[in-house]
Amino acid sequence: MDTLLTLATLAAAIRLAIPVAVAALGELISERAGVLNLGLEGTMLFGALAGYLATLASGTPWLGLGGGILAGAACGAVLALLMVVVRADQIVTGLAFTLFAGSATTYLFEQSYTIGQAPPRIPSLSMAPLVVIVLVVLAGVWFLLTRTTAGLVLSATGEAPEAVDALGYRIPRVRTLATVTGSAIAGLAGAMLVCGPLGLFVQNVTAGRGWVALALVVFARWRPGRAVAGALLFGLCDAAQLRLQGTATAIPYEVFLALPYVVTLLALMVRARRSGTPAALAVPFVRGGT
Amino acid sequence: MTRTPAPASAPDGGPDGVLSRLLRGPDSALGHVAVPVGAVLAALVVGGVLMAVEGVAPLSAYGEVVLGVFGRTRGLIDTAVMATPLILLGLGIAVAYRARVFTIGAEGQYIAGALAGTAWVTVGPPLPGFLLLVSGLAVAVLTGAAWAGITAWMLARFGASVVITSLLLNYVAAAGLAWAVRVGIRDPGSFTPQSRALGDAALPDIPGTGIHLGFFLALLAVPALAAVLRRTRFGFRVEVLGANPEVLAVNEARPARTRLAVLALAGAFAGLAGFVEVAGVTERMTPAFATGYGFTAIIVALLGRLRPLGVLVAALLLAGLTVGFDEAERVFIIPSTTVGVIQALIVVFFVAGDALSRRGRR
Repeated sequence: MDTLLTLATLAAAIRLAIPVAVAALGELISERAGVLNLGLEGTMLFGALAGYLATLASGTPWLGLGGGILAGAACGAVLALLMVVVRADQIVTGLAFTLFAGSATTYLFEQSYTIGQAPPRIPSLSMAPLVVIVLVVLAGVWFLLTRTTAGLVLSATGEAPEAVDALGYRIPRVRTLATVTGSAIAGLAGAMLVCGPLGLFVQNVTAGRGWVALALVVFARWRPGRAVAGALLFGLCDAAQLRLQGTATAIPYEVFLALPYVVTLLALMVRARRSGTPAALAVPFVRGGT
Repeated sequence: MTRTPAPASAPDGGPDGVLSRLLRGPDSALGHVAVPVGAVLAALVVGGVLMAVEGVAPLSAYGEVVLGVFGRTRGLIDTAVMATPLILLGLGIAVAYRARVFTIGAEGQYIAGALAGTAWVTVGPPLPGFLLLVSGLAVAVLTGAAWAGITAWMLARFGASVVITSLLLNYVAAAGLAWAVRVGIRDPGSFTPQSRALGDAALPDIPGTGIHLGFFLALLAVPALAAVLRRTRFGFRVEVLGANPEVLAVNEARPARTRLAVLALAGAFAGLAGFVEVAGVTERMTPAFATGYGFTAIIVALLGRLRPLGVLVAALLLAGLTVGFDEAERVFIIPSTTVGVIQALIVVFFVAGDALSRRGRR
């Protein structure tokens, strides 16, 4: 075990935690407004593909990140149209979108290079700027939620939409904005995954990180700081799991594979009853009650 | 099938706080069928446009898809075999969603059931072939139900969201699969991680066809479940819970118990699907066993309007599309992901179409 906690493992943990942390921060915004966005994984995938293609076209990974943000915002607009404006079921819509993204991104990616040739690698960002981005997003989300009127309206929309409606704010507008903003951040998270040390898009590159981020939001009781801490915990488990693969140890690496999820389940047991869940999460808003 | 319409004042769903009238579909019988059919057609049109852009004539490609299924015995066999786990998984999901219990844990229950059944058969007590198969099925069903039971217990005891807990358990099951085939029930004689072959406990084929008996089992399950939903007290409770949990609480029984029952039932179906897939198709477990059927089955359940017969049709449709496209790819240069895009578009169009068809009516 002592060989696990080396500097290299720690660096790997941070690298693995970065996209999860950012995606969780994005999801947190939409959930605080009452929109349970299960399309997170799909949005990350689109962000990752856009990040890859934009970097490939422009030659700079910074523009790739921009592409990821734009793609994420576009996904958010589609999701908001379905979930908020048309009031389709949030769970079904999110699932459908993620299924769609898995196929669509693979399809689009295959169109982007000649079959038979290896897809080109892209110039990548180092860890330091990525860590800075995480901290900036964290600070931004925290500031928005705790220090601004917009953040107050946002959170109130997830708790008591009727009251916010009575104050004259438009619930669909607030929720649409929250979903688009949160999805833009999720798109950024996907792009960071690809434009970071990886430098490549592969089929299903997010590999469930969006789902992890969703669970983390619950684990973190909808608090930004805890979400990032949770992501780091996930990164540590993931790094340990990668490190243990192929080495014969007393602890199978699959224990670390399952650990983040088990920990989250345990956290749910301890705290599920304690409040923190936005009361109107996943409840479509209909003016004047249903 | 007549449905109890949800009262206009139905409070928000279960402890998930999820409100989903949309799952119940439009009020008219026409909309029930028109929206899924329309979604399928629209997705096929978009798929055709994609192929045309690729330089493939869509109509001849679709012709080849149809031929790939109906033009040869193998196509029909493959479709039935692929539809089998989707039908079983879809049936379980349909019952849970009817009661507005939104589990997305079918994938994990499918893996857990298959693993337990395989472990029982390959490293358990030596039994004669038939007994081994039947007991293996029983172990898989019970394990699937128990795996879903964790979700049910966490809901009842701690009020934890079914969506989140069932999702998390998928990953735990996937890790369990990785460990089991690498260490736990690994075939000691194999270089790559995999379990022993099922041998005598494999599902025989339906005589005269190349289709394993699991398909027959799935076909039987459809009317059986329909009868249970329509005729039994349990079926009635599922409907009432889906329409208005408070009515159930006031009039008859504890909603929590019915929620537990539908989750266990969904898990049992998923576990059965998992072991049937091992015993009928793969005949041993490998790390590649988890293919995402548990998620595809959610599409199947939704497209099938959460009705047993609809689930059957939707499963055959999605399986047929996949098999047919496999064949068409041999003739035309179509990206192998085209069928995935079309399936995904079906769901998106379905969700959007359903929501739109209900809009303005409330």
